[in-house]
Amino acid sequence: MPASGLLLAAQIRYQVRLLLANGRTVAIRIGLPVILLVTSGISHGHASAAAVASPATFGLTLAAWNAGGVRLVAAREAGVLKRWRATPLPRWCYFLGRIIATLAVGALAGAVTVAVGVCFYHVPLTAGAALVILLAFVLGAAAWAASATALTSAIPTVEAANVILILIYFPVLIVSGLLGSISEPHWLTTLASYLPVRPLADAVTSALRHATGTPLFPVHDLLTLAVGAPVNPASRRWAR
Amino acid sequence: MSAVSVEHLTKAFGQFAAVDDVSFEVPEGQLVAVLGPNGAGKTTILEMLEGFLAPTAGTIRVLGADPRHGGRAWRARVGLVLQSTSLDPELTARDTLSLYAPLYPRPWRVDEVLELVDLTADAGTRVGALSGGQRRRVDLAIGMIGRPDILFLDEPTTGLDPEARRRTWGGVENLTSTGSTVVLTTHYIDEADHLADRVIVLAGGRIVTDTTPRELRAQGGPATIRYPLTDPAAAADLPPALAEGFDQSSHALVVSSTNMTATLGQLVGWAERHHLDLARLEIGPPTLEEAYLTAIGEPLTPEIPAHALTHPAP
Repeated sequence: MPASGLLLAAQIRYQVRLLLANGRTVAIRIGLPVILLVTSGISHGHASAAAVASPATFGLTLAAWNAGGVRLVAAREAGVLKRWRATPLPRWCYFLGRIIATLAVGALAGAVTVAVGVCFYHVPLTAGAALVILLAFVLGAAAWAASATALTSAIPTVEAANVILILIYFPVLIVSGLLGSISEPHWLTTLASYLPVRPLADAVTSALRHATGTPLFPVHDLLTLAVGAPVNPASRRWAR
Repeated sequence: MSAVSVEHLTKAFGQFAAVDDVSFEVPEGQLVAVLGPNGAGKTTILEMLEGFLAPTAGTIRVLGADPRHGGRAWRARVGLVLQSTSLDPELTARDTLSLYAPLYPRPWRVDEVLELVDLTADAGTRVGALSGGQRRRVDLAIGMIGRPDILFLDEPTTGLDPEARRRTWGGVENLTSTGSTVVLTTHYIDEADHLADRVIVLAGGRIVTDTTPRELRAQGGPATIRYPLTDPAAAADLPPALAEGFDQSSHALVVSSTNMTATLGQLVGWAERHHLDLARLEIGPPTLEEAYLTAIGEPLTPEIPAHALTHPAP
């Protein structure tokens, strides 16, 4: 039988291609965060680290949430998962390929926003900071994709997925202060610090501020993201 | 050795038995068509053969293994085409097949399988831009790409136009010529007639007939007369025994008879009275469709008892 490593690599290529195949979704995932940065985060031709980190986080989480959630339900409903299940491809290979592709596209969405901030709005970026941001992106995308994937086992249809996932996604962004600062009540800000939005945005902000003396490695934020990243492969409804 | 062995297979959904104590074997290299009306249990049986559904009772062996526990090596020997198309519209037909081919230890070359399903000219077209028939043939090509020892086809031509169906049949015939076993479900009698070595007819979850298409025809009852009849005046004057066989919607006389000589005598006499030419008259055994409907308990044409013909009404 063909080696699993080769099959996994082929799956990753295939899934990335699917995620980037549709021009409209690419424009939304990658273009919208840049538009947010340009329209709301620029002052006198400069952007702050936080002004770049917020739309980058928005782009990444949107891409990972959508790919790990709605698209997975759509694939299940259309019989795509059943079709793959009928082949000799190991099930873990399909899902790992899908998740890695989601991480790659999610990280790309965040990276483009950061790159625009660095190239056009004088946001300083060191090589070490770039690596930390990349790590934060990967962990953040993994946390979001894994959460969405786990949720899909309880979502019966694409229509339901669109509603349920949006009803979860935007409230989490709001309580995490990504769409506007929230300081009260205290329990809410504490809760937000453990959801995979605030730690991601804070890790990116911290890394971008490294050039001005902030510690490079935001340990607490990255650990929080790492805890949320494990994948839930338990659902049997995936392959319904 | 049998490619498929099914013994006392039952599948119940609550109190409803979708498949009820079904047993059959499929020898290697045979093409078996499973026919039956909606709800007869065709797809349920196929899903159990494919390993997607667990039986409530009974045993299944496909290529010597229980489909529920077939590993990667077993999956590599089994191809299937699901009832609905499940393709990614953004990929081309060639890209789709190139994705699936490396999963198998001894796949067809992509160009070969494209030729088998008559898609060479459309290989570079996005799946989303292909017609329904072409997409179905991409599905068929995916089922075939691994050079399967057995191929399950679940209503592979439902919804296709006649030309697309013929092309799909060609793809299936090309595969069977390589020695693969094929089990297909279909609503189309002509599909079974054209492709199958053997026909299993299901009704109400049970097998009502398991035979060859030729024998199924023979089981369909007596010979049948078919005659297109467009003259309403002549139709109104049909002898009572023949009038029962006149279908006003299709303007055709279709009569099965156990005494063909007497039936023909009545028909010829009636035609002479109305100066009708019987050049378009057909006499023959029942069609497979008629035999099928008889098998599932829905006769298509009225059968004229012999006494009605030997003692015609004045």
